[in-house]
This record gives sequence, C-alpha cells and structure tokens, in this order.
Amino acid sequence: MKYMILTYASQQDYDALSGKPGGNVAWSAEDFAAMGAFMESFNKQLAESGELVETRGLAAPVHARRLQWQNGVPVVTDGPYAETQEVLAGYWIVDCESFDRATAIAVRLSSCPGPAAASSPVADVRPIIESQTELEL
Amino acid sequence: MADTDVGGLLRQLAPQVLGAVVRRYGHFDTAEDAVQEALIAAATRWPNDGVPENPRAWLVTVAARRLTDLLRSEQARQRRENAVARRMLPEEWLAPPADRPASESDDSLILLFMCCHPSLSPASQIALTLRAVGGLTTAEVARAFLVPEATMTRRISRAKQTIKDSGIPFAMPSASERATRLRAVLHVLYLIFNEGYASTSGPGLHRSELAAEAIRLARMVHQLLPDDGEASGLLALMLLTDARRPARVGTDGELIPMAEQDRSLWNAGSIAEGVALITDALPEGPTGPYQLQAAIAAIHDEAPSAEATDWPQIVGLYELLMLISANPVVALNHAVAVAMARGPQAGLDLLNTLQADERIAEDHRLHSVRAHLLEMAGDRAAARESYLAAARRATNLSRQRYLHTQAARLTSDR
Repeated sequence: MKYMILTYASQQDYDALSGKPGGNVAWSAEDFAAMGAFMESFNKQLAESGELVETRGLAAPVHARRLQWQNGVPVVTDGPYAETQEVLAGYWIVDCESFDRATAIAVRLSSCPGPAAASSPVADVRPIIESQTELEL
Repeated sequence: MADTDVGGLLRQLAPQVLGAVVRRYGHFDTAEDAVQEALIAAATRWPNDGVPENPRAWLVTVAARRLTDLLRSEQARQRRENAVARRMLPEEWLAPPADRPASESDDSLILLFMCCHPSLSPASQIALTLRAVGGLTTAEVARAFLVPEATMTRRISRAKQTIKDSGIPFAMPSASERATRLRAVLHVLYLIFNEGYASTSGPGLHRSELAAEAIRLARMVHQLLPDDGEASGLLALMLLTDARRPARVGTDGELIPMAEQDRSLWNAGSIAEGVALITDALPEGPTGPYQLQAAIAAIHDEAPSAEATDWPQIVGLYELLMLISANPVVALNHAVAVAMARGPQAGLDLLNTLQADERIAEDHRLHSVRAHLLEMAGDRAAARESYLAAARRATNLSRQRYLHTQAARLTSDR
C-alpha cells in the first residue's frame, strides 16, 4: 500500500533556510549542512529498505504560480501566498506494509536537526488511491 | 576481478557489442534490449566465474542468442520488420565492401550518430546515448536524472520506436550530413556533462558520475575522430572544467566561486591533458565554440590567481565566441571579463545593455554579476541590493544562501 508523507513550510521558513536577513532564526551553514546530511541518510535508508517510491522538495512559495478560473478563464498569479501561510514544502511517497509503518517513517522526520526555535513543523500521512475501483469500495 | 573493474570493462565493450549485433542482425531496438540483458548477465556472472578469455565475443554470442529469442517471441513485430526490409533500396541490402571491413570503432561512432539523431528530443538523445553507448542500466540513467525508473523506461522505448519508425539505416551518415550530425553528438555529450557538473545538492554523488561518463564518451569520440577540432575542444573543455571540481564546493556543501577557490586543489593531471589537447587543436582548421570555451578555461586553469589571470585575452576569446554563438550567458561572461580587464564600470555598462535582453533580465546570474561589479566599484549599498535581488530570483537554496551571505557581509563589516 502506498502512502504520501507531506511536510509544510511558510515563505518565512524558506527565508530562514536561505539565510535571508531579517526573517526568522536564520540557519547557519552548519545547520544547513546538518539538515542536508539528515535528509540524505533518511532517504538512503528508505531506498535501501525498498520503501521509497519517490521524494521531492519544492522551491519557495514565492516562486509558485497559482491558476484560478474566473468565469472559465484561467488567471495566473505569481507567488500568491502570505508570508506566514504554510504551504506544501516537500513530499515522500512510500510503499510499505501498513499505515502505522508509514506513520513511523514520518515520525522519524522529527529528528531532523535545525535551530531549536525554527518552528513547530507539521507532517501529514495520507493513503494513496491507486485506481478508480479503490475509490468506489 | 573486482566488481568495479567488470563494470568498467562492460561499459567500454557495450557500444562495440551492440554495434556488432546490429550490424549482423539489424533490429536496433530489440538488439539494444538483448545487449542490455547480456551486460546484466555478465555483471552478475563474471565477478564469480571470472572474465571469459574473449569478453567481447562472449557478450556478442549471448546477446545474439537473446535477440533470436526476443524476435521469435514477437512474431507480429517480426512481420512488421520484414515489411520494412522489403522497402529497403537494393543498395542497402549489400554488405559493406570487403576491402574495407567495418571496424569496432566505426560501430561505436554509428551508434552515437543514431542515438543523437535529430528526430529525437534532447532528453531522449541523452537517455539513449547513456544506455546504448554508455552501457548504463535504465535504473542508473533514471537515478542520474532524478526521474522514476518507469518514466525513463518509457522515454528510452519511445526513442527506440522513433528510430525504428524513421527507418534510419545502421550506417555512417553521408558526407554532407556528417558535420551537422557530429555537432548533435557533441552537444548531447556537452549536456550530459553539464547535467552532472552543475548539480551541487541532493544526491550529488550519482550526478557527478554523469560528468565522468560524459568525459569517457567524449574521450571515445576524440579517439575515433582525432582530427576533429571540436571533438578535441569538447574533451578539453570538460577536462579543464572538471579539474576545478575538488575546489568548487566547501565543507558545508556551499558553492565557492572560482576567484575564491583554493587553486592547489585543482586537478593538475586533467589541466595538463586539457591544455595539451586544446594547444594541438587550435591551430587546426576553423575554430569552433567548444575550442574557444576550452581556450578560456585553459587560461583560467593556468593562472596562479584571479587577479593574475590574462583577462584581456579572455575578453578577446569571448568576443570571438559571441560572433559564432550569440547567447546572453556568453555576453554576461564577457562583461565579467571586461570588468576584470578594464575596470568594473566598463563591465557595468555592458550589463545595462544586456538588461534589455529578456532572456536573461530576470536571471539571478545577471544580478549576481552586477552585485559583484558594484562591490568592485566600491558601491557597497547598491551591491548589497543587487545580491538580495539575485537571491530573490534564485530557486536553489545553496545559491540563495551564498548570495545572502554576500549581502550580509556588506552590511556588517566596514
């Protein structure tokens, strides 16, 4: 069974991560390297256990484009989010034996190093629907 | 023999084996699958059983046997193939003349020309080249380009289908086509190299192997066509660029610009080889873009420091390069060289002109360069603003961190 693990961050979180002055607690080069090392080993373990289907990080919300249909006409807006609004920051798709196992994987993300006061992160774990028949069950 | 030695040997033999099988039996698309299976069989058996006396013949035999099986099991496909064979012109039925037997090197070159055929998209050219000529598995190619294996499998099979549908014969392109087709081959190798070299984050290890693979393939092309100046130029460019790799990223994974790199870390062997190649190639025939870029890289690599670099000569080479391949990134590099040779204001003037080119106006690189030149000119406040403007436009976190550090440096110390 496949599950999707989703993590979130705001533009402010991204700014802190990119060392932008004047934002949240800025990440030092060491913090940043430690996070990179954690993610690399986290992903490697998942790949080695055969549970990783795919994982991606997303660029900052300021680089997002939103499409909205107004009277059937698509309108594109650049970086439409408020500074503090948390939006999707990255995801993992894992193929594992149970919802509990997928949750346990997501829990491990809480050991990701970073400045103590960085934020109180949230992650979601959601089962993936593979086909229309599953939806109809 | 260690696993890695077997891997290296197999990848070296891959294009020769595929070339031999296609030459003998045709069916490029199915033959490519058959050879891939033979390579996998060898990779699992040879480390235990030992490498056979004639590894190439072993692989050709196993691949040919597998090809027969595959073709038999696909009767429908075979019928279509026969229909295509009947459409062939009589002269294409003839075997190559006996006085000039096809060599293994011809086969490797023909394969490269096929994989980089202009009817394929660049993404397909790259994928097919890495698999059919480079001998990488689909999984390895997929990992290097960070796409799911299923996506890469489809990309490769679509590419092979296109080759099959277009009925490209397994033969050297005609003399009139050859120069254009060779340019396409070199461009594909250049893209593979950049894909590996430009990546600095994430699963970087797999990606740097792409740069090594591009160098290996460029070396092969240079050996096949030693008199082609651009093939030599491309190999030299790759070696001279890759030589700086050890100094390019700091301990925390941050990017270090060339001016600040510890030049003692540069790979002296690669530099010597690259310089020798470009020195031999330049006086021969017309000078192409790869040779010019290699010549620029060679001047950088041989300079003891950024200040002691022969900037006027680099300016001249960029001006030649702009004449034959005008693109805004070349113009941006030219502006940097001009600033180094004649002072920051001369460079900033060129940037103002370049700002009108919408292909680069919103690119973080333009703003990074402006920041750097403003700082050279002593305008710290404007430089800081430009670094921040560059950071806003960059999507890569490592690059953003570098640009923010530069901006912060101009706020704090005095």
